[in-house]
Parts: sequence; C-alpha cells; structure tokens
Amino acid sequence: MSFATRAGVIRAVDGLSMSVERGETVGIVGESGSGKSVSMYSILGLLRDANVTIEGSVLFEGREILGRPDSELRAIRGKDIAMIFQDPMTALTPVYTVGWQIAEQIRQHTGASKKQARKRAIELLAEVAIPDPARRVDQYPHEFSGGMRQRAMIAMALSCEPSLIIADEPTTALDVTTQAQILELLGQLQQKRGSSIVMITHDMGVISEVAHRVVVMYAGRPAEIGTRTQLVREPRHPYTWGLLGAVPRLDSKRTRLITIPGTPASPLDVPEGCAFAPRCAYRFDRCEERPALHGDDHLDACWLEEPDKVRLRRAIEEAS
Amino acid sequence: MSEVILDVQDVTKTFTVRHGGAGARGRIQAVGGVSFEIRRGETLGIVGESGCGKSTLARCIAQLLPVSSGSVAFNGVTLTGLSRRQLRSHRREMQLVFQDPYASLNPRRTVGDIVAEPMRVHHRGTSEQIRDRVADLFRLVGLDVSSLVRYPHEFSGGQRQRIGIARALALNPQLIIADEPVSALDVSVQAQVLNLMADLQDELGLTYLFIAHDLGVVRHVSDRVGVMYLGELVEMASAEALYQAPAHPYTEALLSVAPELDDGRARTRERIVLAGDVPDPSDKPEGCPFHPRCPVAQDICRRVKPTLEVADDGRAVACHFPRRR
Repeated sequence: MSFATRAGVIRAVDGLSMSVERGETVGIVGESGSGKSVSMYSILGLLRDANVTIEGSVLFEGREILGRPDSELRAIRGKDIAMIFQDPMTALTPVYTVGWQIAEQIRQHTGASKKQARKRAIELLAEVAIPDPARRVDQYPHEFSGGMRQRAMIAMALSCEPSLIIADEPTTALDVTTQAQILELLGQLQQKRGSSIVMITHDMGVISEVAHRVVVMYAGRPAEIGTRTQLVREPRHPYTWGLLGAVPRLDSKRTRLITIPGTPASPLDVPEGCAFAPRCAYRFDRCEERPALHGDDHLDACWLEEPDKVRLRRAIEEAS
Repeated sequence: MSEVILDVQDVTKTFTVRHGGAGARGRIQAVGGVSFEIRRGETLGIVGESGCGKSTLARCIAQLLPVSSGSVAFNGVTLTGLSRRQLRSHRREMQLVFQDPYASLNPRRTVGDIVAEPMRVHHRGTSEQIRDRVADLFRLVGLDVSSLVRYPHEFSGGQRQRIGIARALALNPQLIIADEPVSALDVSVQAQVLNLMADLQDELGLTYLFIAHDLGVVRHVSDRVGVMYLGELVEMASAEALYQAPAHPYTEALLSVAPELDDGRARTRERIVLAGDVPDPSDKPEGCPFHPRCPVAQDICRRVKPTLEVADDGRAVACHFPRRR
C-alpha cells in the first residue's frame, strides 16, 4: 500500500501477508509509523483517495474484498467486520445520544424497527456492563467516562454480531484498571460469540496477554510472525529482541534497558535491503539485500542463521 | 543516609470550578494532604491513574501552582508563601521535564536558544560561556552539536525530550521533577531516554521526582514509590517492597492487571479487575476514598478515613485492613 505525497511515494505497507482464523486473536505490534493501522484501514476500504494505491489480495470468508465498490463494502463494514478505535470519539458523534447511534447502525444493517433497535441497544449496553443501561441509552457521549465510551463503542461494534473485529489500540488511552476491564470484556465477548479479533497495539505486554498469534511490523514490513509464546520466549528477529528488552519489567529491576539505537525508519526513506539493518547490532553484508519472511509456523525476515539467532538471544537474556 | 532535599508536608490543592449553568460553584480537591520526603540522590516515583492528582502535586511542589494548605521545603527553606522574586534563586535548583515534547518547546526558537534561555534569564555567564555550555549540554544528552541551529519540528519525539532534559539541566539543578517524561514516546525510544536519565543521575548526582502512570517504568527508575488515588497517597514503600508485596488493596489490584510479558519469568498473580470507574474528584466518597471499589472494604471503611501509617520497615499505607504477607 502506498501514498503519493509531495515528498515522494511512501510505501506505508510493503508485502504483508497474514491470516486470521475464526475465533482467533491476532496481534499486530509495532512502533509509530510501522504501518500497523493503515494496513487494516486499507483492507476495509477506509483509505479511498487518488493518492492511495493498494495492491494484493484480501479475502474475507473466501471472498475478495479489495477493490470492491464502496456500496458493497458499506454492507460489510459494521456488519461483518467491525472496528474499535483508540479514541471512542472518532466513532461516536457528540450530537446524538449513544443509544440513537447504536440503534441507527442496527437499523442500517438489519432493517429492524426503531423500537426493536432501541431495545437491542439497551441489551448491548447491558452486555458491555454499562450500569443502568435503560437510562444511559438516552445520554450523550460526553456524559460517559472514558472507559464507558470505550464500552459504548464496543457495544456499537458488536451490534450486528460481526465475525471479525479490528481493534486499533483499543486500550491505549485508558488507565490500567480500565484497560483490564476492557480486555476482559473483549475476551468474554469473543468466547461467547466466537468472533475473530485483530488487535493493533504498540504494547508488547497487552499483546502477550491477549493475542494467540502476533505479527511484528517494522517500517511497513512484517519482521516476525508467530504464536505469542514463540514471540515472547523465542523471538527470532533482532527488532523483536529490542522491543522486548526495552519494556521495563514489574518483577525485577534491570540495571539497564536494552535499547535500539536511532529512531524508527522514516517511511519516506526505507533502506533498500533489510529495513531494520541501520539500527541492527548484528547486521552483516547480506543485509543489504532484502530478506524474505521465511519459516513454517514461526516466520521471520532476518538473514542470520538459526543457530546464531538462538546463541545471540541467549547472550542478551543473560546480560539483562 | 543522605540529607532531606525536599520535604512536602500535608499539601492540599483545591480548585473552584463552575458546574453547569447559573454560576453554580463546586470545589475539587485535586490533592488532599500529601506528605513525603525525598533524600539527595534518590528517585521517588509517584504512580497513579489519570485524575489522581499526581501532576497537580508536581506543579504545587515546583511552585507553579500555589498550594491551598501545607508546605513545601526545599533544601531546608520553606518555599510556600515566598514571593516570586524570593523564589527565583530556589527555582534554579529545581527544574521540570514535561510529558509532551511537542508542546513544551517553543516552535519559533532554535533548540540552541531554547536550551540557552534559562542561563540568559538567570544571567549565567557571558554569551560565549553560555554557547559553550549549550554545546556541552547537547553532548551530555547525546545530541549532535551541529543541530543547535535547528528548530524543534526538525527533531523526533525522543530527541525533543533530550532537548527538554538539556534545558532542565542548564542551571545545574539539584532536583528534577519529571512529569510523565516518556509516556509520549515509542518503547524503543522510551528505553533510550530512561537510560539517559539514569546516566545523568549517576554523573551529576541528581535527585528525581518521577511521575508516571506506567507501573513498569516507575519500578525501573525508582528507589521508593508512592501510589496516589483520588488526590491522596495510599501507599509508599521501597520499589522492591511495594512491587513484591503491595499492602494497599488498590496497589495490589493495580499491579495485578498491569500487562506483562509472559516469558516464563513473570510472576503468577491473580488478576483483580476492579469494578467501576475512579469517582469524580468533586464528589469524593466519605471514609476511605477507595472503599466503593475495594474488594475487602468493611463497614469502618465507609465511615472512617484511614491515615497513612508508617510501619517499622518504613512502609506507609493508608488502609484499615492492609494486606500482610
């Protein structure tokens, strides 16, 4: 996926292939500008502009959805695929009541009557544990606390029983106790309805608690894909080592955090070969050529030989 | 043990706010009776969720906001009640680093000017001496001296935070008050800034008051940690003791839900997911401020407010039924 800008063409997402199974939670993790959000926005047709080019293929329940006309996508968005954003106010309008907004979505997609839709909105608010839903349904978003708005947005996302929920940093703006409530709620709802979740976040801790599988993105490219246990316990890509090592821990005080020198690659200036090479302590000649994502169930895009990766990772662990 | 550098006694800050229409006024107690000491060379971390009053407390300590009651003494001198003029010489010794590296640097000034500003204001040396000192400060925080003539927008978030730190160090302060200094940064950059702050502390013998919401970050940098809830300190202990065995039910719940890497080394702790939201500070509960959400609250907690009791091991907790291990 690329943007044509005045400063040149930006390849915001470059060669991302991934799949999400029914009932599975896949985490996409990366720092600012890694392409984690735009990759998901582009598959939903949310980036429609003459300057945006999207290539490749996106199959949803076996059907190609890339390049479909907006009218077709509108029937899918909100109904089969729902989105949860970091800031609930991007999804809720301040000028209508919360209940009206949820009911409107239900009516759009199901043709339910006003009365039915309102009743369903109250049920949904109750389901996401908003206290006193029959009264809250007639309130405006500004009368809700931050956590409650996030719940209301989840209620709206769930209103048409979507089979896939894309959650973009759903808890980043929330306090840790509220974050725990929301993550628990999402987990319960997923179990109950069997929906799939794509969780986009920069927080390795959140990812390691909720995701079954994880995609690590760097400069628009997937650096590593694996189960959360593989990612956290046997990470293979030097970028993943850096990301994990930089997280301050609760259980022990490390004298120094592992840092990745420099700053994340600018999307305007991604290196020819491995995108991470300029910041990588283990780069060698071969890194001037771009490594392909390789492996069976645990994939990574790094030229280091497998035994070297294991050796280096152990050395880092012992040093910390 | 080294001497006390900052002594905060019973600091309270109340704001008057207009509610709704008709000029109805209400009072919000943002900070309610907070007391602690910081010793020279140590890092005290203050952790709490949004609205707990931690930033207001920082501003009261830095004398950017007048306290409503209580006192703040720095190096043995009581700052509360001093005039702006009298404060000036003390302000040099106490500098702030802010959260938002985008909002805290003037976009129209070069970064060299921004770092030189405190020295000009306080008449520290000739313009040549100031120029040399700015270059030294840039090297100290790991920035390229050739970038002195550039403007803030040309720098990344992490670099801007380094500029903010260089500015704070310009007058050789003793105490740095850092209010969420790394929360706007990506994790790899956050680690760089945290390591830099640790290096500077070793090199310059700085004392830090470090305010943040991220439990891992606070654990990493702090010698002692205070936990705030609804404007009050509910627990304070050494970082080690607090994270190993939290005594206050709020601290316990907070730690139990902090997302952590499950790499096989992490603790196994039962998750305590608190119900409801933090109450509106304008409508603080009677008794213990935490009782409406507390899993172990008893009748007494609804009526009697617990005071912060200091135990023999130096741990202080404001709870009628502290957890014992």
